[in-house]
Amino acid sequence: MITYPTKAVQDNIQLKAILLDSVSKKYPLVKNLGKDINTDFEDFWALKDASFEVYKGEILGIIGRNGAGKTTLLNIIAGVLSPTQGTVSVNGRALGLFNLGVGFQDELTGRENIFLNGAILGASRAELEEKLDSIVEFSELGDFINMPLGSYSQGMRLRLGFSIVTNLDFDILVIDEVLAVGDVLFQNKCFQKLMDFRRLGKTLIITTQSMDLIERLCDKALLLDHGHLLFYGDTLGGINRYRSLLNTEKFFVGPVQKERELIEDTKKWADDISGWGRELGTKEVMIESVEFRNKFGWRSNTIKSGEPLNIRVDFNARDSVKEPHFGIAIFRNDGVYCYGPNTAFDGYSIAELKPGKGYFILNFPKLLLAPGEYRISVAIWDKNETLAFNYHEGYYKLTIMGNNSTNELLKFSFKFPLTRHSYKLLQFFKRNDSFPDINLLNNRWGECIETEGLRLVSIKLLDGFNKEKNTFMTNGTVKLKIDFDGLRTLDHNSCLWVGIFREDAIYCQGIAAPLQRIKNFVISFPKLPLLPGSYRISIGIWDTKVKRFLICHHGIYPLKIVFDHRDHGTIYLKHKWHIGGH
Amino acid sequence: MIKEIIIRRNLIRELVLKNLKIRYSKSLLGFLWAFLSPFLIVLIFYLVFSLILNVKTEEAPFILYLMSGVFTWRFFQDSLMCSMTSLVDNKNLIRESNFPHYLIPLSIVLANAIVFLPSLFILLIASLVSLKGLPIFVLFLPFILVIHLVISIGLSIIFSVLYVKWRDIKYILEVVLLLLFYLTPAFYSIRLVKSSFPPPLFVLYLYDPFVCILNLYRISILKGFYVVVKNEMGIISMFFITVGVAIAVLGLVYYLYRKNKNSINDYLSY
Repeated sequence: MITYPTKAVQDNIQLKAILLDSVSKKYPLVKNLGKDINTDFEDFWALKDASFEVYKGEILGIIGRNGAGKTTLLNIIAGVLSPTQGTVSVNGRALGLFNLGVGFQDELTGRENIFLNGAILGASRAELEEKLDSIVEFSELGDFINMPLGSYSQGMRLRLGFSIVTNLDFDILVIDEVLAVGDVLFQNKCFQKLMDFRRLGKTLIITTQSMDLIERLCDKALLLDHGHLLFYGDTLGGINRYRSLLNTEKFFVGPVQKERELIEDTKKWADDISGWGRELGTKEVMIESVEFRNKFGWRSNTIKSGEPLNIRVDFNARDSVKEPHFGIAIFRNDGVYCYGPNTAFDGYSIAELKPGKGYFILNFPKLLLAPGEYRISVAIWDKNETLAFNYHEGYYKLTIMGNNSTNELLKFSFKFPLTRHSYKLLQFFKRNDSFPDINLLNNRWGECIETEGLRLVSIKLLDGFNKEKNTFMTNGTVKLKIDFDGLRTLDHNSCLWVGIFREDAIYCQGIAAPLQRIKNFVISFPKLPLLPGSYRISIGIWDTKVKRFLICHHGIYPLKIVFDHRDHGTIYLKHKWHIGGH
Repeated sequence: MIKEIIIRRNLIRELVLKNLKIRYSKSLLGFLWAFLSPFLIVLIFYLVFSLILNVKTEEAPFILYLMSGVFTWRFFQDSLMCSMTSLVDNKNLIRESNFPHYLIPLSIVLANAIVFLPSLFILLIASLVSLKGLPIFVLFLPFILVIHLVISIGLSIIFSVLYVKWRDIKYILEVVLLLLFYLTPAFYSIRLVKSSFPPPLFVLYLYDPFVCILNLYRISILKGFYVVVKNEMGIISMFFITVGVAIAVLGLVYYLYRKNKNSINDYLSY
């Protein structure tokens, strides 16, 4: 792998890219027809006495409130505006990306706009012809490139504008608050490109209101307020200064105090399964290999349900990054988000990754997933999970062996009162594969089937102290107390079935057990590992001979789960992290 | 400035293309309008002056006389009116990068010239057919075109730069152009002016550069025209006057642009 130096250093002397010497800017006053013009406004300086220098290969973030002079400063650096006083020296070709490509002509197509805009930015026809393909490819606009710009959304304009500017040759790139319009994937792509530029020794100047971005991307921060330069120096110092500046005014903005709240819902689907197999991120840290190890410690991506699994990820940091987080997510093949633990949720804090190799291991002592095909994503994130350094989305396949015709999601433990006779019956059912066929219940979500003389009297959800509730904690004890009427009419071919579904009708787990003319049952889950969200319970009685439901209340009884711990997915799987190599 | 124009020739081409594309992209007849609209105007003038007012010109057939006057004037007037607001209209383009502003009015005049050339060509054919030949002076036509172009470009740049600061000049220029149009012999005979103006005023009239340019066009296109106007002013002095005006305009452009180039973007902000 090629690694670039982080900064362009020439004989240990950093080259100056931009030098501003007491630059001030005053906009000319337009005379109003009204006589009562505010005379104070005549002395309005958009920028006053700004002096600083930026070295080659640095990323400078300019922060400040709206109207603080950020855009004026950027315009001056890009040469679009000239300073009223002071001098600006810019070493190299400076390009700017302002106002979301407003220079685009709505009547012209995307392709024609590439040539026009490129020409304005100083590129020759030949250069543009040569780079046309990479511009179109980067923008991901596809066939839209031959549509008039008028039909483009703001995000698409940004895509085109960013693609044009970044594909041209420049030494200094100035970007005004425009990246926020792009979607997360495109933003990540942009940041990846920006990091590449930094490695190539190009100078970047950005403004944004997102302090996370500033902290993440920039080497230095510059704080402007009412045209005055308040702070120029390290990023964190700049952000803190800005926060304190904001807090002196009417509203208290940050830093946000985190309260420990109960989480009521989690992310339960993959973003987009068509993106599986993709690699994203800014690539300051690269994931080099991911290995699955089974209970013997052998490399294998096939295991049995309920067995231990170790996932070992080796990575290589190209730049030093602060406060990274590791994450691994398990999805079922259809996009159901099973579980996505990461070190941030689990309270690990890693101060810094130094350039070089490292690894981490995620250990599941008992992988309770039901048999089937799964996909694993591996990611190394920044502190706030806004940007991935490297993200292998649905890259790795994991197979859990076994038969799972009903498409259950998991196999967690439960207790059911069984007599010796009913245990024999259970074995008999298992042998004859006469368990309830829940495919019969398709399209009957929310319906009640009842046969004459047989009635479900009540179902109660109890906690570990036998108190009735309908909201439970993840990993808490849940007992289901079920009463039937008319069971005497049943013979020993009947079987009780309890299904736990997600609210979107994803089948989590089913429990089947023989009935023996008992009128009430208690099924207990000593540790119900469902993650926060709303679930539904289905209850039925299955006739194993006739193979139909005598009773079924499908998706009727609600169950709500909360948790005091942030997580992604549907089920909590016990796990441990090992972080090594640094 | 000339060096800059040569370096940025790609941009000029893109701007000219953009201009033409935007102008004719959505209309059904498209580029055909470039021919159609001047001819329709000529038709109206012809109806009004020849059939109703019964105007006669002894220098050349009235329809050719009218075409040469209206086509050349329309090119000049359209160039000026379009490019005057061009810096303000294209402020989004300008504020994207630090490129020389005058390329925008320049490209508009060039686009107008491209539209003007076919109608000039048709005029040449018409004159060739109906007057059975072209004058020897047709060889000067390219020089005349260049001079006309330079004056148009120069004035367009001047007015577009001034318009950024003083939006009033748009209305002033509209009136001035109307006055200048009536002052040029587009649809009346020069003889008519001579007979109605006192001699000193008539000399002044002849020194009007726009009159000179129009006369030069007619001399080079309409056979037998020069013989008629020779007594009033020679072709050499017409050239001198127009070239002189062109140089003066360019000088003014240079001065004005140097003085204002840093503040144009400030005024374009609002």
